[in-house]
Amino acid sequence: MNNMIWLIRREFWENRSLWIAPLVIAGVILVLTAFGGVHIGREETFWFGTGTSDLEGMSTTDREHLNQAMGEVSGKRDMIYAFTLSMLTTVQMFALVIVIFFYLLDTLLAERKDRSILFWKSLPVSDAEVVSSKLLTASVAAPVFVLLLSAVVQVLFGLVVWARFSGSVVGMVMPVFDAGVWLQVQAAAWLMTVSAIVWYLPLIGYLLLVSVWARRNAFLWAVLPPVSVLIIEAMLAQSHHFADFLGRRFAGHLEIMDFSSRSFGDDGDLPALGELASHIVRVFTSYETWVGVAVAAAFIFVTIRIRRVRDDS
Amino acid sequence: MTAIIEARGLTKSYGSTPVVRSVDLNVEAGRIVGLIGPNGAGKTTVIKSILGLTSFDGELKVLGLDPRTHRDDLMKEVCFIADVAVLPKWLKVSQAVDFVAGVHPRFDRKRAEEFLARTDIKKESRVRQLSKGMVTQLHLALILAIDAKLLVLDEPTLGLDLLFRRSFYDNLLNDYFNKERTILVTTHQVEEIENILTDILFIEHGKIVLDSPMESLTDRFTQLIPAAGNVDRARALKPFWEREIFGRVAMLFDGRDPAELGALGETRAPSVADLFVAMMQPVGAAPSPSKEAA
Repeated sequence: MNNMIWLIRREFWENRSLWIAPLVIAGVILVLTAFGGVHIGREETFWFGTGTSDLEGMSTTDREHLNQAMGEVSGKRDMIYAFTLSMLTTVQMFALVIVIFFYLLDTLLAERKDRSILFWKSLPVSDAEVVSSKLLTASVAAPVFVLLLSAVVQVLFGLVVWARFSGSVVGMVMPVFDAGVWLQVQAAAWLMTVSAIVWYLPLIGYLLLVSVWARRNAFLWAVLPPVSVLIIEAMLAQSHHFADFLGRRFAGHLEIMDFSSRSFGDDGDLPALGELASHIVRVFTSYETWVGVAVAAAFIFVTIRIRRVRDDS
Repeated sequence: MTAIIEARGLTKSYGSTPVVRSVDLNVEAGRIVGLIGPNGAGKTTVIKSILGLTSFDGELKVLGLDPRTHRDDLMKEVCFIADVAVLPKWLKVSQAVDFVAGVHPRFDRKRAEEFLARTDIKKESRVRQLSKGMVTQLHLALILAIDAKLLVLDEPTLGLDLLFRRSFYDNLLNDYFNKERTILVTTHQVEEIENILTDILFIEHGKIVLDSPMESLTDRFTQLIPAAGNVDRARALKPFWEREIFGRVAMLFDGRDPAELGALGETRAPSVADLFVAMMQPVGAAPSPSKEAA
């Protein structure tokens, strides 16, 4: 346990993008909120960081649209607030996915490239512990950091919006802070994140396996085999079973949650957390999820074995 | 005396190329053993086998454990510097100390910090900012602060200048006398370590060609520069190596009575470097002990 904490700290020392990138994104979000242009058009759509920087400089049509939009949404304050906060978390998470993708591909290759593996292996830390620490960094430590950071960013976002727009139409729709909605958004974000991580475990395992196996160009080794299978299947059998399979592995958990069976927010109310959870929980009751977890365990096991026996450094 | 390292028939091939051929080893507690051989002789492979970093055939016990199956237990008692400059470039000095202190139960943080305080290494520097000599000092500071039973050093001073090499071995020796420890060191700079060794092992083409305590080398080997008329008589005593220097012939004998040789000319004890050269490139009448024709 103690070893694991040090190993995970080590990952954050080495891969500073794991914590710097989320901080930068958070900063960008807040700076754009404070100084960026705002466009509020029809269909309850918000854009930050585009066009004019001053509401006063709006064209008459835009202003008309704005008033119209505000009129339409005034009863949906909670919904808009929750939606906006969730968008902030989504942006943060999306950036983290990109960082983690490259982190996983590089992590077990880099230590062989710079031969530092000989130093790590001189310490009483097993290969299983090292590989687990990388798995936990990607699947627990980094996402938890971003979820917590994002919760703080949401509060700061509310303050910035209030400071900038209080008294204007935007200030009318966006509360400074609404603890109830904020907590609900956090709960939903944690549920979504946990289900997504469990669903994506085989992908994490696959990337670690490529990383420990490749001598160079881990990215190519990760991407080329599935793409080749796609192309070969399309050419020879003119079918797309493998493409369907990949699509399912990438977005299947969303299909399993099946939010489309109920159009959230159409009636203008914030969906109850319990109802949201009942959809998300379907991921954990689906056999597909657990097949994926088993495959991930196999990938991790092989990764540990390869790190143990490999001696090309 | 207990055996720290025991190997019987240690063998390793890469593909069809054998790099270590049936090596027998016995390293007892408290010795400082030099494993000496030319490049490609199999030194590093023997070391990697001992450290559980590679697969091999044959029998090998390190501290009574098989490194193939008990590597994780072994690393609590064994420390190694596999090569210079394997500390990762991004690591800060303070992080290196923190991390080893965090994961190694036998690490003495104070010792490492005292050692580092005597160098020019700053705690906030990253490894990439340190010179090669400083990286080695840092690595040594970390390793020597670990109370390990066996310390393995594979070419620890490769690429360092003389001053760093000298202080490296001085530090190593001072530390050795402070505690009960066994050291296995490989190098091809024989002359620099011969004074600190208690035993030497010569390895060539994957075979051990000499395994001897330092003190018995002088009993066993004699160098003779025969007087002008005695060269043929000396040759009849079968030197295993000879060469001409300044127009005179120097011969090395294995297991001959020094008194018998003394009658033929000047004798003296050969240095380890002399023996090394003689055994690695035998040009004399007889092949070196236990060496096969290549």
